[in-house]
Amino acid sequence: MADVQRETLEVDVLIVGGGPAGLSAALRLSQLQQEKGGEPLSIAVLEKAREAGAHMLSGAVLDPSTLRDLIPDFKEKGAPLAAEVHDEDVYFFTESSKLAFPIIPPPLRNHGNYVISLNQFVRWLTGQVEAAGVDFFTGFAGQDILMDGARVRGVRTGDRGIDKHGQSKPTFEPGVDILAKVTIFCDGVRGNLTKELHRRLQLGGREHPPQFAIGLKELWEVPRDRLKPGTVIHTLGYPLKHEEFGGAFIYAMPEGQLSIGFVVGLDYKDPLFDPHMAFNRFKQHPFMTSLLEGGQMIRYGAKALPEGGWNTIPRVYMDGALIAGDAGNFLNSMRLKGIHLAMRTGMLAAETAFDAVRAGDTSAAVLKAYKDRIDRSAVRDELYPVRNVHQAFGYGLLPGMAFAGLAVATHGWLPEDLHGHPGHDRMKMLSWYYGTRDVPIDKPSNATAVDRKLTFDKVTNVHFSGTSHDEDQPSHLLVHTEICSSICGPEYGHPCTRFCPANVYEITHEADGTPRLQINASNCVHCKTCDIMDPYQVITWVPPEGGGPQYNGM
Amino acid sequence: MILVVAEQHEGKLNRATWEAIAAAQQLAGTAQQLAGGMPISVAVLGASTGGLGQELAAAAVAEVLVAENAALEPYTPDAYAAAVSAFIDSAKPAFVLLPHTYQTRDFAPLLAARIRKPLVTDVTGINGTGADATFTRPMFQGKLAAQVKPHGGSPAIITVQIGAFRADAVQKGGSAPVKKVDVQIDPSAIRQKPEAPFREAKQAVDLGQAERIVSVGRGIKSQENIALAEKLARAMGAEIAASRPICDNGWLPMERQIGSSGQTVAPKLYVALGISGAIQHLVGMKGSRTIVAINKDAEAPIFEVADYGIVGDLFEIAPALITELEKP
Amino acid sequence: MKIAVCIKQVPTREWQPRLNDQKTWIREADVSYEMNEPDAYALEESLRLREKHGGEVVVCSAGPARVQTVIREALARGADRAIHVEHDSLGAADAFVIAEALAAAMRDEKFDLVLTGLQSDDQGHGQTGVILAERLGMPSSTIIMEVQIEGSSLRVKRELEGGWFQWIAMPLPALLTIQSGINQLRYATLKGIMAAKKKEMKKAALPDGLQPSQQVVGLAVPTRSKQTQMITGSAADAARELVRRLRDEARAL
Repeated sequence: MADVQRETLEVDVLIVGGGPAGLSAALRLSQLQQEKGGEPLSIAVLEKAREAGAHMLSGAVLDPSTLRDLIPDFKEKGAPLAAEVHDEDVYFFTESSKLAFPIIPPPLRNHGNYVISLNQFVRWLTGQVEAAGVDFFTGFAGQDILMDGARVRGVRTGDRGIDKHGQSKPTFEPGVDILAKVTIFCDGVRGNLTKELHRRLQLGGREHPPQFAIGLKELWEVPRDRLKPGTVIHTLGYPLKHEEFGGAFIYAMPEGQLSIGFVVGLDYKDPLFDPHMAFNRFKQHPFMTSLLEGGQMIRYGAKALPEGGWNTIPRVYMDGALIAGDAGNFLNSMRLKGIHLAMRTGMLAAETAFDAVRAGDTSAAVLKAYKDRIDRSAVRDELYPVRNVHQAFGYGLLPGMAFAGLAVATHGWLPEDLHGHPGHDRMKMLSWYYGTRDVPIDKPSNATAVDRKLTFDKVTNVHFSGTSHDEDQPSHLLVHTEICSSICGPEYGHPCTRFCPANVYEITHEADGTPRLQINASNCVHCKTCDIMDPYQVITWVPPEGGGPQYNGM
Repeated sequence: MILVVAEQHEGKLNRATWEAIAAAQQLAGTAQQLAGGMPISVAVLGASTGGLGQELAAAAVAEVLVAENAALEPYTPDAYAAAVSAFIDSAKPAFVLLPHTYQTRDFAPLLAARIRKPLVTDVTGINGTGADATFTRPMFQGKLAAQVKPHGGSPAIITVQIGAFRADAVQKGGSAPVKKVDVQIDPSAIRQKPEAPFREAKQAVDLGQAERIVSVGRGIKSQENIALAEKLARAMGAEIAASRPICDNGWLPMERQIGSSGQTVAPKLYVALGISGAIQHLVGMKGSRTIVAINKDAEAPIFEVADYGIVGDLFEIAPALITELEKP
Repeated sequence: MKIAVCIKQVPTREWQPRLNDQKTWIREADVSYEMNEPDAYALEESLRLREKHGGEVVVCSAGPARVQTVIREALARGADRAIHVEHDSLGAADAFVIAEALAAAMRDEKFDLVLTGLQSDDQGHGQTGVILAERLGMPSSTIIMEVQIEGSSLRVKRELEGGWFQWIAMPLPALLTIQSGINQLRYATLKGIMAAKKKEMKKAALPDGLQPSQQVVGLAVPTRSKQTQMITGSAADAARELVRRLRDEARAL
């Protein structure tokens, strides 16, 4: 909508994304403001969810190191740390039994860490940010980047009040152009704006393409004495094949709540594989079945994770902008932790932005100090030694584990770094994987029967994500070709119907048998898997007008 | 004693009045024929009530009270609140029962506020009898059912949800005495000046008002087949509705969608044709009084909420139902 | 014109019911809240009336501290200032208590017009507006679809059953309970949200000694007590049997 009159808002620092990275950046900026005094900075945070934390989903076990630095009196301020980690186990599952690891591998050791709900944590952190006087705008998504050549000038929020045919409704409100001296992009894993920055500014990633996984999670309520709060369990093996990367977690919270999750690398070869089915199979393991006996699933959700590690971190500074958190791929896939790194990079971005704004120069040359800060920080100390681990898993579970062990022992020494392949490229065609195109594609290869008590179909699960969207708007999943009706079926068997954890994509058939893609956009849980995993890379996720999941307690 | 306030428009009793009487009889213990049950009086108000008093006298109640006053026509909340308040002053009931109609919703809270007595609305069930009774009412848009006890003295005013009590369950009794009662209403104290009611062509479909609904799901297979479902709906005197996929395809308009992203309904009868019963659909209709499910798949979740189920081909069952319904 | 809009904060439509241990109220811990939908339409109507007739819109709410969120939303959409009767107990209070609390805080303002939603999506008594009107000494009319103001009087269109409507004239000041869907809700803009922070939000105390009119002694998820009756046989036999049962047993036909 180029010819529409738009309002303009000018701020010193614009933060896109109200997750741990964005909130830490906002809080750090206001702290620096307090410490150093001077002309008050105007700071704005944009969050697409209607409510702080609504789109936040993670395991999670928090490494409190960054929290201690950001808010030393976090306990007094009531940080919702659900339980301190007490008992830990790692198991290798076979179909019917399990083997306990005699020693917890060092990366999976969580002594001193806390089981948390990221949703609750972000709600609390938002309270801290608002108390510090920062403008926190919920229900506003960053739709476009405003650029002047290679300089980022700010972000345009999405137009509101457009009907499903693209026509303006009487309530139409054009998006606002928010201009900032520095924009800190914290729009999460495969952030739609960061993706655009990559495209426009070539931020890197050809040698070390980003790697992703999908995490599926359920919150369960079981009898209170089942697992002690603070129990942390990780599993490997069943139901994944050796060529498939992933595993599960079980984190026990107070009052009988269990966070159960399953992580699968988005680089599997079998086009008929369904990550959500794998989660169901996992729950059918005898250990899980007895753990969840008599319990109730109360919430479901899914989100992608950036798994590629240090070498996949792009250039994170440019004229007028910085990238922090999952959007910059700052996640330690070995430890399964990203929250403390998101917070740390958010803080470092804030410090850099503060200096630049005060110095009156927010060019890339000055903002490069962010990268220097990261290189000198705990972020590099943690991520650099394990930079090849995820890529090693590309060779299989055993080589990956062996490599991981080696990396820990040698602090990551290796003559030359391993190169990963984009996950969507690793998906094989039906003809390659099955030797023929003539494979039934109506069921995933790892299908299992669901009972709607322990295991669920996607449609039932999605109901418990609390996701909803206004129906009268254009679809926010943009599919750029007609490939669904032509070659995707024979080549890959419509994998979007399997990798989407929310039943957004369905294939129906015309009278003459031609497949037709039906998009149930309002089921979307904003996980970004489709944008990542589609083998043709023809799906673009853009923010819808409002809506999304309600991840209370997740 | 229990006072039931009848509702009439232009000399005709609203059928929901009988439902309120049935509720009163249950509350009184008459329904269960318990000894020492509370006596029931039924009051009817209007400028002139014609034979309504006699009509009501057929119920097994202690008496029918007729109040005629020019100020009661047309209906205004001020006039009705004044009249019923006068009744309460003289009869001193323990409970006042009314049907939860638009009219009742307009004046019952005013009455309760004026006499400072409790008002429990939209009641779907009565537990126990007499002074110890508790009342069931929906909360959180029907997601929860609450047991409620009135607090704050007598009378407690109770409005009963339309259809929650059965008009045909009213115990008939012969003939109760019909008494004329004088109610004083100060016309100058009536602040509302209503004009005559009128009908408007409704643009939107209001499935929430439908008594019976025939709803189609994916099992209907094509747009052409919807005609079969519409024929069944006509034979049943029902409105047509659909689950989400049907509306997404454009086979029926969005206003006919039932479910979490459409409407929530609770009609007397809901017939689910070829609907699997995904939870998003169930939340929109599981409050229906009677649910019939027709589906090819015996494992379909819809059967978990159905009162009556037929596992079979809807293309055979629906025509057979139409034939059966069209029999004289 | 001085217009008041009473709004309530209620659990969102997507909320899954969870009960407290005593089963007398919901578990507030994982509830997400939003503005009660009919109240949102009442707010929009008040803003349109102000645009047409001038004056100010004051948003009033009774509830615990958390209701500030919906008050701010109302201010962000364009209300001029707010009154908040704040007390923890108001989250679960019944219509009588809420109406009295609001009346005490609103009486001295001498509003010309008060709008409320016709009922709340949580407890759904449908009483608060009318009781409030009585306490403020105003006439009321419910389930209103259209509002016309002429000088010091009001003409409103009330919804009746089955597609019927009625126009009613009333003097001002008056209170109206508004039906959902009578207008189209405007968005809160970024500028509106920022301006809302500077608008006045007056706190009012909960009067002492207010008595509830009813008590929730039990809360439960409604369960179906009936067993599903499966009807077998040929299509013709099953159809006949179904119609018979619907007519005689269920009395649904």
